[in-house]
Amino acid sequence: MTNLQEDSSTDQVERKPARFVPGQPDMWVFVLFESLLFTGYFSVYLIGRIQNRDLYLQSQADLDLRFGIFNTIALLLSSWAIARCVQASREGMYRDALRDAFLTIGFGVAFLVSKVFEWHNEIRLGNTFTSNEFFQHFFFLTSIHLLHLLIGFIVMGVAVYQLWSPARRSQRLVETCATYWHTVDFLWVLIFALLYVVR
Amino acid sequence: MSTPTGSLTSRLLWNFRHNPKRELWFAWWVMVVFYQLYGVLFFFVTRVQPPASPAWDTPMVVQWFNDRHNGLLAGFGVVFLISGLCAPMNALLAYSMRRMSVSRVFGYSYLIMYSLSAIPGMLVMAIAMTVGAMRPDRDPELIHWLFDFAFLSFSGTMGVFMIGSLVWLVAILIDKNRVFPKWFGYLGLCNALTEVVVAPAWIFQRGVFAWNGAIAWWINMVVFVTYTVCFIVLLRKMIEREDFGTGPLPDLPPKAERSQPDSVGAMQ
Amino acid sequence: MRRTDGELILFWTLPAIAIIWVSAFFLFPGFLHPMSPTMSADQVASFYRDETARIRYSMILFNWFGVGLIPTVILLAMQVRRMAHRTPILSYSLIACAGGPPCLFLIANMFWLLGSFRPERSPELTQLLNDLAWVTFTVLVPYLIAQCLLLALAIYWDHQEQPVFKKWVAHFNLLVAVALAPAAFTALTFNGPLAWDGLLSFWVKNIAIAVWIVVMGVVLGQIILRRRAEEPVVA
Repeated sequence: MTNLQEDSSTDQVERKPARFVPGQPDMWVFVLFESLLFTGYFSVYLIGRIQNRDLYLQSQADLDLRFGIFNTIALLLSSWAIARCVQASREGMYRDALRDAFLTIGFGVAFLVSKVFEWHNEIRLGNTFTSNEFFQHFFFLTSIHLLHLLIGFIVMGVAVYQLWSPARRSQRLVETCATYWHTVDFLWVLIFALLYVVR
Repeated sequence: MSTPTGSLTSRLLWNFRHNPKRELWFAWWVMVVFYQLYGVLFFFVTRVQPPASPAWDTPMVVQWFNDRHNGLLAGFGVVFLISGLCAPMNALLAYSMRRMSVSRVFGYSYLIMYSLSAIPGMLVMAIAMTVGAMRPDRDPELIHWLFDFAFLSFSGTMGVFMIGSLVWLVAILIDKNRVFPKWFGYLGLCNALTEVVVAPAWIFQRGVFAWNGAIAWWINMVVFVTYTVCFIVLLRKMIEREDFGTGPLPDLPPKAERSQPDSVGAMQ
Repeated sequence: MRRTDGELILFWTLPAIAIIWVSAFFLFPGFLHPMSPTMSADQVASFYRDETARIRYSMILFNWFGVGLIPTVILLAMQVRRMAHRTPILSYSLIACAGGPPCLFLIANMFWLLGSFRPERSPELTQLLNDLAWVTFTVLVPYLIAQCLLLALAIYWDHQEQPVFKKWVAHFNLLVAVALAPAAFTALTFNGPLAWDGLLSFWVKNIAIAVWIVVMGVVLGQIILRRRAEEPVVA
């Protein structure tokens, strides 16, 4: 009985490299689930918007499009940086990969700072979480997204930790982290389109 | 001792007496029974779920209590009888962390957190609803307060579940014994985040973020149910794979090779 | 000092706690005779006004020593750990149950104390607090029932030459679990044995708990003393 087990486990180890899926299937499950979840949130938003078009339009006018565009560009750049990081790591150029990882984090921080400024702005204009339905959604979506970004910093921390020392450098883990970061970017683009652009 | 054949009762009895994994299966079945009862009691007997609305005025709330008078008292009576079923369930999850390559800290922390989660998260609602229903002639404002108390305690008890989920998911992600697949660790993050999403229930009396709202309850429920179904299935797999060792948990042989899943494995 | 010396010290807290609890029980004016759920709001309010001192002091005493049973339950969990089981699932389950009853009891305790804090409050509010206290106190049985059932199961599954507990302890625990069960349904009626002042929900439940404490205390004490005698003295 135990022999059978040993065989099956070595079989598995040998089988793994042949089935190389970029970013690891486990993380993709998470990405899929989160996307479905956010689709749910967006649907609720859209239904509310249809029922209350004037209120939403009016409130949207209070949003500063410049913040939205800056944030989007920041995250797109961060995605580009992490993609370069993965590429460099694949080629074994770990110093470049580390630099790109820090670049990713940097752009993420830029997003964070900008977001805080934007919220501060809105609150000064009198628009808070409890002001009206539109701002409920606005603050909720941007907060949940920001939380994902903060978790993203932890994830990037894992990536940096992996890339740092030659004793680690698990390519799979780095790719998993990159997948997560891309998801954060992807979700933001959707939020940006929904909250800022669609009028 | 060969594997038992024969009627269901004789096989059950054999397993109860001799199966080396009987403690684990006991805990797993208690968990399944608990969740079934929980669903039936909260959704059909007491009918407190799906939740009533915080936007109602006091007369409507009193009416809600009156409609459910007997269901509430009897249903929560059963809840007061069976809540102890949570204990083996939490023990099984703590055990899963013990089987991992991670420190014992994780299992014990989780055990304590989830043991006490049932009190604000379930029993307080049961008590508040019971007291609300038992005197229909009570001052309506007091009944309305008990209504708020019950629902907010039930939905709004967030921290234990959030941190508990995080403890489990960190353990899963750093575990080298492959007790759970990594995607389940990531799903735990989704579950932990539902506790963040429900937080606005403490702020809003109406709308999608109220305790009965589309986002704070309905979508959250989908995540919670998905997560629960996943871990029930994964825990079953864990028990089937369990070899009582300390190394990586072996995978199950493919279905064709498996004749009787557990009793044969037990012969090792 | 031997490890089991510490256990013995904790064990001897049990009779001390029992004496304190019994004293507080008699001091609280609402237990002997138990207050009836049929009392009107005004009657409840005048009860809290007339007996304020005894309510407060007895409840403060209960509050101090509410968690007093936890070391005993943990000592029991440790004995379960020594049984012939393959996994610690049952001892984990017992640990999971340990905090529940004191927590619920302290909530009930808090409601009684709140009721007596401002006796001049509106009678309806006092009645509400009184209801919350009594219901919480009476329905705190689920964890106790689970504890008894888990202990019984653990003992049944303890197949070794010298089992930690004798079989009758398991039967006893099953009996106690059954005795505690009716109290869960106390809110269904204001009269009769099921009401919170009735035979089943008050007398049977509390006496069952008391008997359980005494019996398990004696059994546990015997085990600890025997283990202590067997353990070699380390200098």
